[in-house]
Amino acid sequence: MLEADGLVKRYGQVTALDGFTLSVAPGEITGLVGHNGAGKTTFTRIVAGLAAPDAGHITIAGLPPRRAAHLVGVAPQEISLYPAVTVRESLRLFGGLHGLRRKRLSAAIGEVTDALCLGGFLDQRIASLSGGQQRRAQAAVALLHRPPLVLLDEPTAGVDPQTRRALLAALRQRAADGAAIVYTTHYLPELADLQATLALARDGRVIARGTAQQLLSALPGQVTVDLGDEVLRVPATDTAATLAQLLATISKPLRGVSVTEPSLDDLYQAVAGAA
Amino acid sequence: MLHDGSSLRASALRVAALTRHNLLLRRRDPANLVTYMVLPVILIALFKPMLTKAVPDGAVQAVCGQLVLFSTLSLQIVGVSLLAERTWRTWEMLRATPATAAELLISKAVPVLAVLLLQQAVVIGYGVAVVGLSVTGPPFLLLLALLVWSVTLLAAGSLLATLVRSHSQLAVLTDIGAIALSTLGGALLPLSMMPSIAQHAAPASPGYWAIGMLKAAIRGDAAGTLRPAAILVAIAIAAGTIASLRLRRGVAQLRS
Repeated sequence: MLEADGLVKRYGQVTALDGFTLSVAPGEITGLVGHNGAGKTTFTRIVAGLAAPDAGHITIAGLPPRRAAHLVGVAPQEISLYPAVTVRESLRLFGGLHGLRRKRLSAAIGEVTDALCLGGFLDQRIASLSGGQQRRAQAAVALLHRPPLVLLDEPTAGVDPQTRRALLAALRQRAADGAAIVYTTHYLPELADLQATLALARDGRVIARGTAQQLLSALPGQVTVDLGDEVLRVPATDTAATLAQLLATISKPLRGVSVTEPSLDDLYQAVAGAA
Repeated sequence: MLHDGSSLRASALRVAALTRHNLLLRRRDPANLVTYMVLPVILIALFKPMLTKAVPDGAVQAVCGQLVLFSTLSLQIVGVSLLAERTWRTWEMLRATPATAAELLISKAVPVLAVLLLQQAVVIGYGVAVVGLSVTGPPFLLLLALLVWSVTLLAAGSLLATLVRSHSQLAVLTDIGAIALSTLGGALLPLSMMPSIAQHAAPASPGYWAIGMLKAAIRGDAAGTLRPAAILVAIAIAAGTIASLRLRRGVAQLRS
């Protein structure tokens, strides 16, 4: 669905993207992870057709981004809705721009507001909603026309658990229906919830790509053995083998043993630490 | 199945959806428009007796002068309609849809143009009904003059909105600029009552050409209407072209 190859984008002296390559298949949720300034938002803007790359190649279902706007739903990082209009009016506007009319538009509004628990706020103005409700409204705009490619840039920043659950459930359903989803976030447990594949970005390029299991297998876990007067902490790629090896060599009585497998946070820290 | 929305019908439907939305935004924020319609009505009543004594076409001067002054102040309405899209970050949301830059601009312009024409029609109507303004020329000539002036304001306001960085900058520029240029153009006082240096500088103000055009249209002088109209159209084309180019490029984001 999305094919980006070697994208380069410069703003004056700053290189925001430096050979950014990423493919996302239909039905795949890709978690785009990286520090601020890693190039995530610039990449999202290029996919949305809001900026053109200086070099590289990008297509959405074989089309250049500007000609594929009808295939893409976008929820930017910051709330980008009209404060003076209601949720329903916002959805009618953006649905209309994507070619939805009358019954199809009403049905789409009903579906997306049900999925995101927005039904009770449909006739409230955006400005009167809480931050979490505004985030849901923005996600609803992105999902309304059932786009085959959805771009969400930190959609759960500062939202409550209810909003987060509703949004993640809606995204899982859309992916199950065949949509490709690019999900930018700093909250890594969400990516586990979404069973997302990961793309780790740093310095304007993707430095690691794969499933969480594939990427985590390259990181060491830790075996901890408490001997009472001494605690041994041993990094280990194969924690079971390392533990067996340790136990075979220790003659003292054991107070405790624990094994810690690497987490997504460790993965993120490893990427961050290398920055 | 999603379509790419490139047909003429799809384009017309998008423009209709956007225009409806922009009219809704206008209705939700009527304060400026109401102010700019009520104040000229009051000032025309106050200025008319003095101007009638000072110049032969006192009623025409009072109505045209206030019309130009307050329609120029309405540049703020034009500017805010675009600048707010940047403040709310909604311009990028719109640009990420199948709507083209031309569709976005047309749907933005139509409601604002309607607002400007409404404001000027109210002032002219008040002049005719209450102040004794006599429109001897054909209505289409006056309508043409109002349309040309509205389009000029629309283009100038759009350009301003793409140049300023904040609402306060826009407010300062429109308030000071509107009062200075309108006064220089003869909106507050007839040119004949102004110092000679101001009289010589007056043609530098679009307000000068607007007042001349409106006065000529009111008395039915087609040639006197068309010459200033041509100059204002040239100003509108120049300002509109630059504004469109900047809007197409997305314009820099607001800096807080």
